[in-house]
Amino acid sequence: MTKSRIRNNIRTLRFHCSEMTQQQLAEKVGVTRQTIIAIEGDKYSPSLNVAFRIARVFAVPLEDVFRYESADSQGHE
Amino acid sequence: MNLSYREKSIWGTLATTLVVYGYYFATIFGGAQPSEIDRMAVGRLMSAVFVIVVIEVVYHTIIASTSKIAPKDERDILIETKAYRNAYLLLAADLFLLMGTIVMIGLTPFLTVNLMLLSVVVSEVVKYLTQLFFYRRGI
Repeated sequence: MTKSRIRNNIRTLRFHCSEMTQQQLAEKVGVTRQTIIAIEGDKYSPSLNVAFRIARVFAVPLEDVFRYESADSQGHE
Repeated sequence: MNLSYREKSIWGTLATTLVVYGYYFATIFGGAQPSEIDRMAVGRLMSAVFVIVVIEVVYHTIIASTSKIAPKDERDILIETKAYRNAYLLLAADLFLLMGTIVMIGLTPFLTVNLMLLSVVVSEVVKYLTQLFFYRRGI
């Protein structure tokens, strides 16, 4: 089975969004700050629902926030 | 270590459960065991439950005033679901083991009831530990 991970650019997007805090993002998305911390640290892969809500906050497509990385693609990098 | 309200809540409940039920089971299994469930044993259990409720209310009042309370989100629910699964599997295994013991060697009603209670408490402890593990390690 191929091991996969979902990486994200939330930290960068927050920086470009007037240094939005994790708490502000959490409130806009409707999750706890701890969940935003976990997502940013690649410790939790959010549901599609939350992923789309995060993308909507930054007004970018989903692919600009999250990217899928499998063990195979990491090997080619 | 930066703990959320939910983690503080679980740590407090875990500590209270371990201390109060630890004391209860130490007195129950440490002393002479009656063959039947007597009024004194029921009284001890009621006292343990009462002490837990009081400590929990006081503790949660304190942490609620110092921490920001946020409603459960999908990650909290996912972690809780996994914790309940582990607790359920352990409880089921414990109960089958207990049923086997009753059939094979026989147990007094007093011992049976307290071993069942012990299974429930151990399952609760496993639930809390699973939650704390996933909150720290990630899920």
